[in-house]
Amino acid sequence: MSTQKRILLAKMGLDCHDTGIITVAQQLRENGFEVIYLGLHNTAEQVVKAAIEEDVDAIGVSFLSGQHMAQTRLLAEAIKENEIDLPIICGGVIPDDDAAELRNLGISEVIKPGTLTEDILILVNRALKV
Amino acid sequence: MSAAESAQVRDHEEQIFETASGLTIEEIYDGNSIENLDYERDLNAPGEFPFTRGPYEGMYRTRIWTRRFQVGFGSPKESNERIKYLHQNGANGFVITIDLPTSYGFDSDDPIAAGEVGVTGVAISTLEDMENLYDGFGPDSVSYALSIRPPVSSVTLAMLACVAEDKGVPLNTVIGTQQNDPFYQMSGGPLQTTTQFFPIQGTLRLCLDNIEFISKNMPRLNWMVTNGYNLRETGVNAIEDGAFTLAHAFDIYRMAKARGLDINKFPLRGSFFLSCSVDFFEEIAKFRAMRRLYARTMRDELGATEENACRMRFSVQTAGNTLTTQQVHVNIVRSTVESLAAVFGGAQSIHLCSYDEGHGLPTEESSRVALRTQQVLAYETGVTKTIDPLAGSYYVENLTDQLETAITNKIREVDELGGMAKAIQDGWLEEQINAARYKNQRDIDSGRKPLVGVNCYTIPPEEDTPVKVHKIQADEWGVKRSEYLKQYRADRDSQKWNDAMSKIDSGWKNNENMVPIIMNALRNKATMGEIHEAMRQAQDWSFR
Repeated sequence: MSTQKRILLAKMGLDCHDTGIITVAQQLRENGFEVIYLGLHNTAEQVVKAAIEEDVDAIGVSFLSGQHMAQTRLLAEAIKENEIDLPIICGGVIPDDDAAELRNLGISEVIKPGTLTEDILILVNRALKV
Repeated sequence: MSAAESAQVRDHEEQIFETASGLTIEEIYDGNSIENLDYERDLNAPGEFPFTRGPYEGMYRTRIWTRRFQVGFGSPKESNERIKYLHQNGANGFVITIDLPTSYGFDSDDPIAAGEVGVTGVAISTLEDMENLYDGFGPDSVSYALSIRPPVSSVTLAMLACVAEDKGVPLNTVIGTQQNDPFYQMSGGPLQTTTQFFPIQGTLRLCLDNIEFISKNMPRLNWMVTNGYNLRETGVNAIEDGAFTLAHAFDIYRMAKARGLDINKFPLRGSFFLSCSVDFFEEIAKFRAMRRLYARTMRDELGATEENACRMRFSVQTAGNTLTTQQVHVNIVRSTVESLAAVFGGAQSIHLCSYDEGHGLPTEESSRVALRTQQVLAYETGVTKTIDPLAGSYYVENLTDQLETAITNKIREVDELGGMAKAIQDGWLEEQINAARYKNQRDIDSGRKPLVGVNCYTIPPEEDTPVKVHKIQADEWGVKRSEYLKQYRADRDSQKWNDAMSKIDSGWKNNENMVPIIMNALRNKATMGEIHEAMRQAQDWSFR
């Protein structure tokens, strides 16, 4: 059995700032992860469905236009409804106050802009508990 | 050794002598560096072909660059109140930002709009929304630049024309701008944003319908602002920025020409929105090179015979992607350097990013600092008092030449692929963008590209300045707008609405100009989302 970790990355809602998430996808691939990137404009249901189908170890989402609270709430609800237990990692432009609230919603890690690859790997591995 | 440490010692061991786009920088430039420069042919006076030294005679001595105010949040009424307040305080030019659902042609009550209504800009779904946005103002007296692209810009243009007619304002006196860039208006890579919700060929057709309608009926309205800014923000360099921006604009010009529009006339109301990044001299050279290359291409390849049609005008925003989330006040320095480069590059309008961009929407305070930075440059430093002061510099002229050549070569690559629409659809542009993204990150990780506060000169997060940002009320706005639209649709004459909607179908299929047809639909209370759905159906196209 492969020990390679699988991570699902997706943009949710209508925000189309994708430079961060596409770059992170590549950084993770170069560091031994298998990454499935769903592209832009996904609903919470689409993300959860893909996570189940692809049997991933974690979900990563990214927001740069202020939808992080609304969309993450929807994602947390969809995960609960589908009774799956997966760490969620959230990246992007997220105010400090909101980052604390996201953790209350069950988000494992919040990754800010300007995080170097070595630190991203530390945060992702911490979310995966490896 | 960590990347952060290696970047800190790198200063003393080695430096990389190249521009951000990779052009070699010599230790010294001299007369040999510009031996082929011919003053009249390559520079000439400001306002004279090829406009290298500036598009206008007098430049900032006649008028300092425009400092437009960006407005747009929540409902049209709330945005209009803000515009009225700013207008009373002396502003008469506004950039109206639009929320994401509207930017994609969705009504505020579409399920896809959940959590997005009024967040990144104002929501516009009905003709009444546009009337409310213009409450108290005539479209011939106050200038709105709508950050909107086709297909949606065909609807906002039709709304604007209806508002003008209803207020008794002749169309040929309407001022303002419809951004109308079919490819680069949304942030991020353009492949998915230009193909997911509307067919790209339909988008191009509406872009040209708008240009045709505006150039025939609304000669004072700007019909397209090519948005190089959002493209540059994806991470491409100055050469790619110049090339992808100009190649795209020239493609649209060729299509407009093919529709029978006059190449000496319609370009007068076309302009550009460009980014100014932090590599000071390369950005200045980019602006000067783009102006010269534009002029030469318009004359030699597109057949413009009047100098006026060869004059490139652009507004500049400082580069958001050079700002850091860490140690935010350092961003004020970056934006200052970038806006100074925009001044030396001869921009017609400048907007500075707020220093807190990496945390959220700007506050009143951070917006004020951005405006004051420009005012210090404009009124204290004296940099405006002679035109194009860097002209004749061995380095700047040499670099301007190199940029012009490199941009020209890159444009040829796009032309050989069959133009920008094809380069986007085939995924070629996305590959170019992604390569740039990966390179930027590798260079930051390795310290090859020093980024103060990120890979060098860092401080622990707990010592960093706490940042307060503007709070958004997306849920509240969404509920209000849903109730409003429900009532709007209930109050209309369904037979008239039906007739107007079927005219969209026949008009599309008969290749008519869609703007008057959309005006009719709006007057019969069709909404933004309904009009888009009808146009999709007319193309036998669906995405849901």
